[in-house]
Amino acid sequence: MITLDIKDLHAKIGDKEILKGLNLQLEAGKVHAIMGPNGAGKSTLSKAIVGHYDVEITAGDILYKGKSIIEMEAEERALEGIFLSFQHPVEIPGVNNAYFLRTALNAKRKHEGKEELNAAEFLRAMKGHLEALGMKSDMISRSLNEGFSGGEKKRNEILQMLILEPEVIILDEIDSGLDIDALRAVSEGINKMKDGKRTFLVITHYSRILDYIEPDYIHVLKEGKVIKTAGVELVAKLEADGYDGIVEE
Amino acid sequence: MGEFYSVAVTTLAQQADTGTKMIHIGKNTSSTIISKGISAMKGQNTYRGLVKIAASAVGARNYSECDSLLIGSNCGAHTFPYLETKDNVGQVEHEATTSKISDEQLFYLRQRGVNEEDAVSMIVHGFCKQVFSQLPMEYAVEAKALLELTLEGSVG
Repeated sequence: MITLDIKDLHAKIGDKEILKGLNLQLEAGKVHAIMGPNGAGKSTLSKAIVGHYDVEITAGDILYKGKSIIEMEAEERALEGIFLSFQHPVEIPGVNNAYFLRTALNAKRKHEGKEELNAAEFLRAMKGHLEALGMKSDMISRSLNEGFSGGEKKRNEILQMLILEPEVIILDEIDSGLDIDALRAVSEGINKMKDGKRTFLVITHYSRILDYIEPDYIHVLKEGKVIKTAGVELVAKLEADGYDGIVEE
Repeated sequence: MGEFYSVAVTTLAQQADTGTKMIHIGKNTSSTIISKGISAMKGQNTYRGLVKIAASAVGARNYSECDSLLIGSNCGAHTFPYLETKDNVGQVEHEATTSKISDEQLFYLRQRGVNEEDAVSMIVHGFCKQVFSQLPMEYAVEAKALLELTLEGSVG
């Protein structure tokens, strides 16, 4: 089953066309990795999927479970189960992390017609996740991402993913700025979400993260298009020959 | 020990010029001023405060903090602290910050399923928390509701 079907997508940021007829199909339950040189359009693709205000779609479509989402507001797409782990999570002073997490979770529960969680229920649900990610319990009483180290910010992204239980998970450079312990904790969090139904889109520069999160497909993105799709064996070839060695199919 | 906590909000084309006077006369007296200003749409917020330490107020201390939050790009915030110190061993501190609700912050919250209005209110309440936490519970609830009402529709 195809969860996300991206058809001939053209998109620009400002006056610059970045995606130039991109086609990509993401299968339910699979891990798709997107690799490509700087400026290929990897981040623009993730922004286009979640409805970021920077990106203007000029042609093509994005279907999520068969329905076009390009006219939907960002928060609607989120509530429908599309999650982006940001490359650079923004700091929001004064907004308590736990309060934010609970508000986000309850917005989703309300959307699904479930009962909202009170503070005590929420904290109980959080505890296991915090321990699994190696996060100190004071991290959720601090202001959202404020003064967090790079590794703490990424762990906090993964914490949100674990709590919100999205169906499509986009990880934009989740491995950047992580030391080996953080990389391991983050990967374990991600692997825990693999349940054969959820779809993952892992955007990365380096193959390092792919040793921890085993992808089913590798897509190579270059100049705004997917130029090659293959299995995990492509990683070794990319390591050896670089992106220039990949010929468009 | 004197304390002054305030939150001022301007929206539409309002201009507010608010502040306080803290006059120290006695020995070893201390005071705190925490003033928050929120400007939305074309609002302008000014903090104007006097801290006066008389010659008799030996060892007096004051801490002033003025924080401004801008919503949108057509508003402004201004801070005019007046300090008059006649005592040589007093301590007067003033800190001022200005921040803006950024598109990135709003988008981050929206990507987590929080709608735009709730996202703005979350950021604004976070900004005012230091002051609202000083209020009795019932009054804090009122203040929050009033703030929300004032800023309704001022975004987007």
